[in-house]
Amino acid sequence: MTHIRTENLGGAIAWILHRPHPSVQGLIRQLGVIGLDVREAWPELPAEAIGADFIFYDADMGHDEQFPWASGQSPMPMVALIGSEAPGRLRWAMEMGAHAQILKPMSDKGVYAALLVARANFNRAQASEALISDLQSRLSARQTIVRAVMIFVMKGKTEAEAYELLRQTAMAWRVTMEAAAERLVANHSSERGSDDDRHIDRA
Amino acid sequence: MYAALARSTRLGVLKGVEEVNADHALDVEFRVVERDPEGRLDRYAPLCREILRESAARHIFGCITSASRKEVIPELERFDGVLWYPVPYEGFEASERVAYTHSCPNQHLLPLLDWALPELGARAYLVGSNYIWGWEMAQIARERIAAAGGQVLGDRYLPIGDTELDHIIDDIRALKPSFVLNSLVGDSSYAFLGRLADLKREAAFAGSLTVLSCNFSESEIKAAGGAAEGLVAAGPWFEPAGGVGGSFHEMARQSVHELASLLHGRPGTEVLPLAELLETAIRAGHTSKLDPAHLHAVQPTIIARLENGRFREIKRLPARRADPYLTDRSQTARPELRLKVVS
Repeated sequence: MTHIRTENLGGAIAWILHRPHPSVQGLIRQLGVIGLDVREAWPELPAEAIGADFIFYDADMGHDEQFPWASGQSPMPMVALIGSEAPGRLRWAMEMGAHAQILKPMSDKGVYAALLVARANFNRAQASEALISDLQSRLSARQTIVRAVMIFVMKGKTEAEAYELLRQTAMAWRVTMEAAAERLVANHSSERGSDDDRHIDRA
Repeated sequence: MYAALARSTRLGVLKGVEEVNADHALDVEFRVVERDPEGRLDRYAPLCREILRESAARHIFGCITSASRKEVIPELERFDGVLWYPVPYEGFEASERVAYTHSCPNQHLLPLLDWALPELGARAYLVGSNYIWGWEMAQIARERIAAAGGQVLGDRYLPIGDTELDHIIDDIRALKPSFVLNSLVGDSSYAFLGRLADLKREAAFAGSLTVLSCNFSESEIKAAGGAAEGLVAAGPWFEPAGGVGGSFHEMARQSVHELASLLHGRPGTEVLPLAELLETAIRAGHTSKLDPAHLHAVQPTIIARLENGRFREIKRLPARRADPYLTDRSQTARPELRLKVVS
């Protein structure tokens, strides 16, 4: 989703979700100076905002329904514009997925820092999520391998023989051991499944 | 520490004031209120506050280092002042309280490197004073050099005023870079240039090591004691006739004239925020070097070599807008996109 390859922010699109207010002018000015293409919306972000590079959103009067994505699921870095530091408002801003914040009244200060911090935090969160889903799939692949080995063991092989058999099967099928294990487990359970069906039919 | 720069900038301001006050076509007269922070960082904010609270002055000319400029900005915000900052800086700032009247990296460093890399070679060594100017200049240079396929052999930083240079000179002797980017300020810079001049006389260098700078000006030639000879500098202006003020002096002088022409015919406007003053003047037909969007000056880039104590122009680029956040970099630093168009 990130369109920016380096720190270069030129031409990046920023949406500001805030009611028209003089205090937004400082933010608009500074984003323009930095080189971003600024768009404003209130009370709701339009669907096209999904293509934005950054979202600045009002933490004081904001609510979930203003966003075309679920809370915490923004496909780009989000910067909360915070006036009230009341815990309830801050909690909502964080649940919405603040990757950085700017305090009101907004001026020429802190905007560039917020852009860079928000993007770094967003990228880090994306990388963590990708890593977690990779680890989860590897973890489940390990369980599948163990189940495949157990199938051979149940058929009388030793554990070492079972692993070797799985390795040879994977080579013969020209797939990874994980993929071979998955196929073996699937075949095995469908065999058993049809057995069960027959049992049921007979009953 | 960097007294020559401060002195020439101050004299530039005073010269500008003298010229404005002598110009009877202008309905503006300046009175000067002076405070001297003596280059001590913790003195800038209190003295700035003192000027703004205890005198009628709203427009302050001064600050050499970025560190000192960042010290005074909160005071300008609190007490409605404007800083006219007439020296080169590293960019990444656009305060509504500051007129950046000299130049920033797209007007000095990047054109200088674009000239140097094909001309001198792609092996760079970076030296700078140990604060934001030195660090950011090195950072920007690093990116530009890498994008051009060059190599940064090393970067070193010295506290302002420090002249302990042995390790840097040893490094340069061993690495033999194609050029050295010198972002040292003041005394450190003069000491460094002196040591480099000795190094260049060694057989291995045969006088061929070029020093680049974006902050060295005519006002420092004497302080460097002749050791700056051959240095290649980038700036918006060089002395045409052997003067010793340099661009710091000239931009300071021009800044005073710029303020005078903004105020001329608009009594009472000295208290307006700068952007408003500028827009008012522009609407009335005034042309300004300051960009009303970010209050940075439009400037040409001149690349010049110091020969026999005078800067000789090597290359001149027409006036261009400041790009303080370098957000136009993509257009020049991604040649692969252009290749795609060809294929």
